[in-house]
Order: sequence, then C-alpha cells, then structure tokens
Amino acid sequence: MTDEFLSQSKLDAFREIGNIGSGHAASALSQLLQRRIDMSIPKVWMISFEQIAEIAGGMEEPQVMIYLHVNGEAPGKAVFLFPLESAQSVLRGLFQSDQQMDLLDELRQSALKEVGNILVSSFLMALTQLSGISMQASVPAIAVDMAGAGLGAILLEDGDLEDQVLFIDTELSGTPQIEGKFVFLLKQGGLEKLLGALGI
Amino acid sequence: MNGIVMVGMADVKTAQGEDILMTPGLGSCIGICIFDSVKKVGGMAHIMLPTAIGHAEGNPAKYADTGTNLLVEGVLALGGVKSRLKAKIAGGAQMFTFADKPQILKIGDRNAEAVKRELKKLGIPLLVADVGGNYGRTIHFSVNTGNLKVRTINHGEKVI
Repeated sequence: MTDEFLSQSKLDAFREIGNIGSGHAASALSQLLQRRIDMSIPKVWMISFEQIAEIAGGMEEPQVMIYLHVNGEAPGKAVFLFPLESAQSVLRGLFQSDQQMDLLDELRQSALKEVGNILVSSFLMALTQLSGISMQASVPAIAVDMAGAGLGAILLEDGDLEDQVLFIDTELSGTPQIEGKFVFLLKQGGLEKLLGALGI
Repeated sequence: MNGIVMVGMADVKTAQGEDILMTPGLGSCIGICIFDSVKKVGGMAHIMLPTAIGHAEGNPAKYADTGTNLLVEGVLALGGVKSRLKAKIAGGAQMFTFADKPQILKIGDRNAEAVKRELKKLGIPLLVADVGGNYGRTIHFSVNTGNLKVRTINHGEKVI
C-alpha cells in the first residue's frame, strides 16, 4: 500500500532521517542512564489502524507511554513505549535505587515524562539541524496502560482519519533490562516539507 | 461451543448461544454490545470516531453512527427482534492529558455521545455505559447472559 502514496526513494530518505534522529535520542538516553543503548534500524510504516497491535506488541500489552505533540513546520507526534519492567529499570537508574518503583506515583511519572522530553528534543534537534525545518516538542503526557488503548487514542486524537500517517518505529535496548520503542508520526504535508527541505 | 469471537478495531461481529464476543485495548474507542436476550443473539462493534459524515468511502464499522446501524442489522439478521434489543457500552477514555493544553475536543467523550445519540435514534435502550476516565478497557460480552465484563490494568475488573 505504501507505493500508492510515496515512492521508495522518499521512504528510504524518511528512514534515514529517522535513523539519524533516533540515534540522537538513543545517545541522549545512554547519557542520562550512563549505560550503553543500542538501537535497531528504524522501520517506516504507512500505518493503518489494523497495524497498531503489531507496533504495540499486542493490544493489551501493558506499557508506559510517554507522548508529546510535535509542533512547528512539520507537525507530528512522538511516543516512547517502555514495557513496565524497563520503565522500572529506567527509574531505578535515575533515582539510583534498587527499590520497586510505583509507576503510578506522580514523582515517578514526572521523571519518566522528563526522559521522554529529553529523548524527543534530541530527536527533533537532529531533524532541525539536518533540514532547517523548525519543530518543537510540547510538554509530555504519560499513560501506564494497554498499548493498543494508548496508541489508538493517539492516532485518533484529532478526530482525523489518520490511516495515512507515516511512522518511524525504532527499537531501543540496553543492559540491564531496558527495551523500548520510539515512534514518530508525521502527517502527510509535513513529510513533503521535510523532504523538500532536504532536496529530495 | 463457547468460542471467543474477536472483534478488531473498526469491526462488527455477531454471535449466538454461548459464544463470547471480545475486543481488547479500548482507549478512546467504544465497544458497543447489542443483544436480544430472548433469542440469545447479539453482536459487538468497536467504533473509533463519532461520525461517518465527511468520510463517505470509509469503513462503516469505524464510526459510531454507521457502526451502530451495521451492528443492529447484523443482530436482526441472526433473528433478533428489534423491539427486544438492548445495549451496553464501554470505552471512550481520554488516555493522555497535557498539562499545558486542556483538550477541548475529547474524542472519547464525543464517541460516547455519538453512540448514545444513535441508540436513542434507533429506540434501543442503553442498559449501562462504562465510559470515560483515563484508562484502557478490554471487554468480553456474553450474548447468552447479557453480561459485559470490563477488564482494566489499574482499575480492576467488573461485570456490568
């Protein structure tokens, strides 16, 4: 279905942008936690609602989701998904504690939101440096809940039919026990703008 | 038989007898259950947006208005009697709240209102609505008993 909307070369270019941006985000996470963080090569999806479960790792899978709006010339949305155990591990690293963390506690949640904020800002800064297109992150919001419920709500938030939204989907992993996923959604117009600025 | 009939996003399914209809991970979406307790037939829709107006080519199961009608047609096709139909709904949460931007257009609330409006229009009594909040729901509906089980991660489980 992707070919109906976008040429392969544009998708490749978008994947490369995602690769660079995600690299910056992964390195910000690595600095924050003082751990090595690896990342996968991003997948680029022209998403339909039916694929949400696949991206989420299951509709009901409990995840910590940190969500930011991306404003500016190429608007979009950015989401970090962490399985609960990984969120625990991130928090233990931040608070330098071995204790079990309450993921619903306000202080823990604001720490996780701040992590999301730092990662998304790094991602966007890389894109801005690359393209000259200005993009800013909103304040973060968080949900600790079923992945399908969260991602579905994100996609539908504007009430738009957004089954043509373009996703970058990157896996992040580190030891001990961190795995997460960075998802960046760009609306159609934004993609053209971003690629246009890069001369693609 | 007692099989589980899985209802996907933007989907409508019907069932009879012991079958259980289920849909996982409802966020701002709504699960609509409509059933005839005498004939023991029913169905479930998983709608995502309030109205098909402006989306003429879209999947009708995606919208509260067209989805509810599609569901009713399905239940009638299984031998349900219109005057005996009743409804239960769940979902319509607002999963994320932004501190700097109290949201004006809450899609979950708009979905719930649209479903209620459509049921009223069709003259189908709404027995119970577990809607709103800020959490996801997975629902199982028994056509046989009319019981709707709502499961959440942080807000327990209940049968309504």
